[in-house]
Parts: sequence; C-alpha cells; structure tokens
Amino acid sequence: MTVREKLQGLGTYPTREPVILALLCALAVGAFLAVGGLSRAYHAQQQALADRWFTRGTVDLKDAHFDRAVADFRAALRYSRDSYDYQLNLAQALIGLKRTDEAYAYLINLWEREPENGLVNLELAHIAAQKDQTEQALRYYHNAIYAIWPGDQEVQRRKTRLELIEFLLDINAKPQAQSELIALAASLGDDPSLHQRVGDLFLHAQDYEHALAEYRLALKSDHHDSAALAGAGLAAFGLGRYSLAQRYLQVAVVANPEDERSADLLKTTELVLRMDPYQRQISADQRNRIVIEAFAAAGERLKSCAATITSSGAASLETLEQSLADNWAKMKPKINERDLRRDPDLAERAMDLVFEIERESKIACGAPTGTDLALLLISKLHEGN
Amino acid sequence: MDLPPNSQTGTALENGQAELVVSLPRRFRGTLMRSVFREERLFLVLSVFIGIFSGLAVVCFRFAIDWCRIYLLGSGASLSPARLLLAPSLTGLVIAVLVIHVFPLARGSGVNQTKAALYIFNGYIPLRTAIGKFITAALAIGSGHSLGPEDPSLQIGASLASALGRRMRLSRDRMRLIAPVGAAAGLAAAFNAPISAVLFVIEEVIGRWTAGILGSVVLSAISSVVVTRWFLGSESLFRIPAVQLERPSELIAYAILGVVGGFASVAFSSAITRLRPRFRALPNWTQYFQPAVAGLLIGIIAVLGAPQVMGAGYEYIDEAMHGQFTWQMLALLAGLKIVATTLSFVSGTPGGMFAPTLFIGAMLGAAVGGAEHVVLPHLSGSVGTYALVGMGVLFAGFLRAPMTSVFMVLEVSGNYSIIVPVIVANTFAYVISRALQPTAIFDVLTRQDGLDLPSMEEQREENILRVEDAMQPPAGPILDAEQPLENVLRQIEESPSEIFLVRLQPSGWSHISKQEIRTKVNEGKGAHTLRSVLPMRQLPVLHPDHLLDMALRYANQWPLVPVVSRADLRKLEGVISESDILNRYRAFDEEGGD
Repeated sequence: MTVREKLQGLGTYPTREPVILALLCALAVGAFLAVGGLSRAYHAQQQALADRWFTRGTVDLKDAHFDRAVADFRAALRYSRDSYDYQLNLAQALIGLKRTDEAYAYLINLWEREPENGLVNLELAHIAAQKDQTEQALRYYHNAIYAIWPGDQEVQRRKTRLELIEFLLDINAKPQAQSELIALAASLGDDPSLHQRVGDLFLHAQDYEHALAEYRLALKSDHHDSAALAGAGLAAFGLGRYSLAQRYLQVAVVANPEDERSADLLKTTELVLRMDPYQRQISADQRNRIVIEAFAAAGERLKSCAATITSSGAASLETLEQSLADNWAKMKPKINERDLRRDPDLAERAMDLVFEIERESKIACGAPTGTDLALLLISKLHEGN
Repeated sequence: MDLPPNSQTGTALENGQAELVVSLPRRFRGTLMRSVFREERLFLVLSVFIGIFSGLAVVCFRFAIDWCRIYLLGSGASLSPARLLLAPSLTGLVIAVLVIHVFPLARGSGVNQTKAALYIFNGYIPLRTAIGKFITAALAIGSGHSLGPEDPSLQIGASLASALGRRMRLSRDRMRLIAPVGAAAGLAAAFNAPISAVLFVIEEVIGRWTAGILGSVVLSAISSVVVTRWFLGSESLFRIPAVQLERPSELIAYAILGVVGGFASVAFSSAITRLRPRFRALPNWTQYFQPAVAGLLIGIIAVLGAPQVMGAGYEYIDEAMHGQFTWQMLALLAGLKIVATTLSFVSGTPGGMFAPTLFIGAMLGAAVGGAEHVVLPHLSGSVGTYALVGMGVLFAGFLRAPMTSVFMVLEVSGNYSIIVPVIVANTFAYVISRALQPTAIFDVLTRQDGLDLPSMEEQREENILRVEDAMQPPAGPILDAEQPLENVLRQIEESPSEIFLVRLQPSGWSHISKQEIRTKVNEGKGAHTLRSVLPMRQLPVLHPDHLLDMALRYANQWPLVPVVSRADLRKLEGVISESDILNRYRAFDEEGGD
C-alpha cells in the first residue's frame, strides 16, 4: 500500500471523530446505568446479608454463645467491613471467649477511629485491667468516664466510675478510690440503691464518715432498708460511734433477722458499750465492777495466749507475755471493789494493763473475739486520752 | 487480525523518518500531519473511555466473584466442610471444560497474554478472551481457588481496550499501545491504586517510559479508579494499621524480613515453574481434572483448619495486619497459601497471582514481625507494619517489580514513613531472588508457553550503547564552506580520507568527497567557494548521548554524520559512520553484551 493510499484512509478521521465520541459517550452512559442497577442489587444484598449475620450475632452474644457470635460478626463484617458496631460487637464476643489479644486488635482500631467512644474505652480498660496494665487501665477508664455514650450519658459515666472504683479497690489503691468516690457521690441524685452501693464502696475504702453519710441518704427514702441500716451500723462502728452503731444494728437485725454479720456486730457493740469503764453515765461502783470484769478477762486472755506461745516456741513473745503476766499477777490482789474505791487511780492503771495485754495478745495470738475484742476496741476508742 | 490500512504511516512518523513526509506533495503532507495529531488526541480521549469501560467491567467482575462465593461457598464466615470440598472441585471441572472448549486463551494470569498482545499480536486480544477470563476467573476465585482478581482484571481491561481500538481502526503503533493502556485501567480498578497500576504496566508490560504512552496509561488508570470508587467506595483493600519506626536500628528487623521474603519468593516461584511443565506434560485428558483435583486439595487444606487460603483472601490480610493471628499461625498460612496457589495456578485454573502474593507477603511479614516481637519486645513497629512491608517484599521478590513494590505499599498505606523499611526489605528480597532464580517468573512462564517476549528485567539491566561509544575523531580536515576550491583541494590532497565534513555558515554541516572537489577544479571552478558548488545536502547531527540505534538510522543514509556538543552545536565532538557503528556492535557482542 502506498503512502498516498494510506493517507486516504487517514482522511476519514476528521468526519468520524465526533460521531465516534458521541457513540462512546452514549455507550458509557448506558453501561453506567446498567452497572448502576447491578450495583444497587449487589449492595442491597450485601447489606441484607450483613444485617442478617449481625442480628444473629447479637442474639448469640446476648445468650453468651460467644463462639457462634464471633463467626456471625465476622460474616457480617465480610459484607460491611468498616462497620463500627459490627467490629465492636465482635470485640465483645472475643472478650467473651477470652481471646483478648484479638479483641484488643479490633478495639484499638476502633479507638483510633473514635478515641472518644465510651464503650470502646471501657472495653480497652477491661482488657488492660486483665493484663495488669494498671496505668493503661486507669487511662482508658478515665477516657470512658469523660467519653461520649449512647443513651443516658450520666448513667453510663456513673457505671464506668463505679467500675473504676471497684478496680481501684481491687488493686488496693484506696486513696484514689476515695477521691473517685467523693466525685461520684456528688452526682448521685436521689437513688437510694446508688447511695447504698456508694456507701458500701466507701466502707470498702475505709472511709466511714462518707459511708455513714451515704447510708443516711439511702435511709431517707426507706427507713427500714435493712442493708442500708446494716451498712450505717457498720460505718458508725468503724467510726467508734458505738451507741449510734447499736441503734442502727438493732433495727437492722430486726428488719433482717438472717443478717448474722450485723447480729455479731451488734453483740460486739453491746459488749463495747457494756465493758467501757469510761462511760459518763455510769456510777463509780458500776465502773469498778467493769474494771474487775475486764481485768479478769485480760487474765484469761493472757493465759490462753501464753499456752499458744509456749507451743509455738517464740522466745521473745514468751518473755513479753511473762512480764505482762507478772504485772497482772502483781496487781491482781488489789483489783477488788474495796481497793478500787479507795484508790481512784488504781482503776486507771488496771485498765492500762488490760489494754496492753489485749494489744500484745492480738499481736502474739491473733485477733480476739467477744469481750477481748470489745476491750481492744475500747482501748482504741480511748487511745491518746 | 484486522489491521487498519493506515498502519504503516504512524510507524514511519514515530520512527523519525521525517524525510518520508518531506518527500510527499504539500497537500498530502498537511493532511498527514493533521491526521496524526488527530489520532494522538483521539487516543488520549479514547484512553479515558478505556478507563471507564475497564472500570465498569472490573466492578462487574468484583460483583461476579462475590456472588459466586456467596452461592458456591455460602455467605457465612464458618463454611461447611462439604461445601469447602465440593465447591472448588466441582467448579474446577466446569472451568476445565470452559477453558478447553470455549475460552482457550483464558488460561493463566493474564499478564503475559497482555505482553504477547503488545509484542506479537499488534495489540490484538480477542474480546472473547475477556469474556472467558471474566467467567472462569470469577468462578475459580469465588469457589475458593487460591487466585486473585487483579491479573484477570488487567487482561479484561487490555482486551476491552483492544476491541475498542480495533473498532476505531487505530494505526498499528497505537494498537500495540492500547493493550497496556487497558491493562493499566483494569489493574488500577482491581487494586484501587492507580499509581501502582501505572508503574506495573510500565515496569512489567511496556518496559519503557515514553511521554506519549504515559499520558494515556495515567488517564485510563485514573478514570477506571474513579469509576470503581463510584460503585465500590474509596476504601482501600485493607484497613491500614498505624505505622511507626522509632529507631533506625529497627531497620535490621525489616532486613531480616527481606531475607526471609527473598527465600519465600524463590520457593514460591520454583514450585510454580517446576510443577507447571510437569502438569502440562500429563496426558490431555487429565487437563479436564487438574483444576478439580487442585480445588479438592485446597478444600482439604480448608477443612483441616486453614480456610483462609481460599480465594483472594483480602479479609485475612486485613486480619493479619491487625494482630488477629499468632505468628506461628501466620507462618503456617503463608506456607499453605504457597501450596494452594501453586496447585491452582499449575492446574491451569484462570486467575491472578497478585492477591496470593500479597497474602503470602502479609502473612510472612506479620509472622516475622510477631516472632521478632517475641525476641525483641521493644520493637516499635506493629505486626501490621511488618505485614504491610511483607506485601512489598513478596511483590519485589516474586513478581520482580521492585519499583511497583515500593509504590504499591506507599499507595495502599498512604503513609510515607514506611518507605525506608519497604526499600530496605524489598532490596534484600529482590537481590536474593535474583541471585537464586535469575529469570523472573513471568519470563519463565512465557518461555514455557513457547513465546519469546522481551524480559523487562533484562531490558532494565542491559547496557545501552550510545553514540559516544562508537564515534571517532574526524580522519581528515574540517573544511570551511567559504574557502575557494583550489585551497580546499590543496588542504585535502595529502589526506587518506575520501569524504570530508564541511562546516556551513552560519551553522550546519554538509559533506563532500575528494573526487567531487577534483572534478569541480578540473571543470575550471577552482576560484569558486566550496559553498557555491556544494550540492544541497545538509547533514543531520547527533549528540554523544544519543542511542547508537538512532545513529544507525542516519548512518545508512549518510556516509558520515557529525557528532556535536549539546552546549555548542558548532563544536564537533567526533564523527560516526555506519562501519563505526557496526564495529562497535560487533565488539559489544564479543564482550558478551554486558
């Protein structure tokens, strides 16, 4: 073919070009519409499948069928890979299966997408707490407390703070737990059950003052709430306010006769009140009788404790107990109503010896019970007086 | 194969043979130039349409794969053993029948077929191949064969482009280029990564950077990605983890990954290149059962606890990047995927190797990263980062596309801080792979198919001869066109040369022979200047950096071609003749060509 012949072929381009472009445009529009239709069908199917598997997964998760839930959520994610909810639920199912590393991978990814998501932060806090990563756990708990939550944010934040407090108490970080409790107590509202729970936590943190305040708030709406009464009694007992403790505990035991702990505590409280020679309302004779009884109880405690120490063979304790026993034996002839009446300081000295015996015996022989416990509590009550 | 009647014209012009145009009558010359420019413009516009149609085809291909998967394997995440065994094996039978009787060209990955279209068939790829590839690859991948959709997408794009080019009656040169343009569009749509697709096509299919083709390839790739994102969204194939590199010393960890990846690449490519000829040598009737048996074996792997090896496996790459597997499991998955992909590929099942390569790389990377974290817990790079780098490593080691491997990871991750680890690891993998397996996988496959396509890797690395390698200092004096002929004759009388260069005023070069000068002087024109008697011939000039191939085009038309400095066109650097060029080529062959 010559060049001229070829050129004649080329000459058709100018006329063909616009027609070709128009045809291509029309074809492209047609193809676009057709693929658009297919695409709608495809995406609708994908969404339907995603929804179906997610619904199944949610049911399985609720029923604690975690392995099935994991498979369901994975299937759902196949059709909607970036769904936040699917990934979060999958992570929760994985946590249920104790596959925390896998769950963590999903959660950390979600956290990167939404660092302010409350649930993600809370789950991450759980995982960090499980792994004993205290610092990270605290960070995620605090993130969760100040995060965005679906539904009632205040309720979720309060629940999270309660979890944080429990975590802090578990790791024996009582001062931090107390400060979180104080912050929580300020936003509790009127819910008596919440006040009671917070009171329990204050008790756990050994903050009896705040605990008592919370129980009182709980009792405002229900005066006969046995748990709140018992808690208040315990808090008052912890504060050394035995009369108040007695009042709460008496009502608590009446309200719930099966509450053995309160009954025991009430007995101890009553013993404390009965055995305290420093009460203002009692006569001198009564006080002397209490001193005699306390002195005798201390002697008994000394004897039983000495037997234990001898069998254990602890020489230093034996010496100490011996010296206390000597002192006790030396004072014993004087501890009668006549001598006590004659020498008002004798009662004081006798009680000092009783308290010392109880304290040392506790160290040497363990926690006392009954009268000995009451005497020990009385000694603490009057410490420094 | 239908070729347009004007096919030769474009070649002549692109080859720089301007004299062909010059020799035409003026009215034809204008028409020719206008037509060529129109074709060039049309080609660019056509590239956009190729991108759009390829994008639409790839979107449909993706839908088809997903539908096949849902209907063949089920929609859930945990699949029933019966389906795991039956779906790939029974579909394998159907695929074998289709490939043997209906779509014989649909076999293989598609990359070599596109290259063959460019170098052998003048850009011709039958549309039937695209249809066959679409159906068979969708069935294969959807039923769980360990293959990917990228290479078939590349071939579908190339095939559509070829069909469009034929319909438009493009010139032969344009037709040759149109297949890579479509290939880039198809690959870009499948990968959702236009830069990597463009680079891969340039690096592995075309093998050279030319401005003309680059514009078209980029246009088609971008338009196809726009279309794909329109329908499938703009999310990348994987959720990308945070990338961190705190200490440069950690690069050693990535270098180890590169070494492991290099050996894994060699194992993978050796398995394919050794088993493929053996499978093909089996009796013909076995061809009907090979995909089915491969599918059955893959199904058994899945039933035994590794269903992740089925299909393209992108969701599992994603999971590996986010620490969903232990490093032992990751290493196991990498090994099993090599087995599964080898089985699928050597059995002749249509489908691509890109996705399996990425899968193996990601698993291997995450496994190496995980193991390194056990030994060195202070490493800052996450397992996901290692998975990402691992993908590039296998790409460099197995597919031997070093540049694409780096940009692919960059484009997919969208994070430039990963570039140093990727380059370090890829370099190790590439060097090890080159050392242990001198020929790249695509080249081996081509040769097994009985074709001799140019190896892009060899082309990249071959020494190029330039004019400066062959030029010589002028043998005789340089004549001045303004000198009288008598003076000129005296000047050249003693010279052994027969041909002399003439410097024209104010610029340009010509040549004259001793005999011509003698004749003119004998005719009594000794007082005339050389310019006045010089025939109308201006020599083309070359520069020292010009390719020797280019010099050859001029040297066979002119006895002597001046080589001048680019900085000063009047400064003669040397001269070159046809014999100089041929001597240099001969010497080059004797040196071994390297």
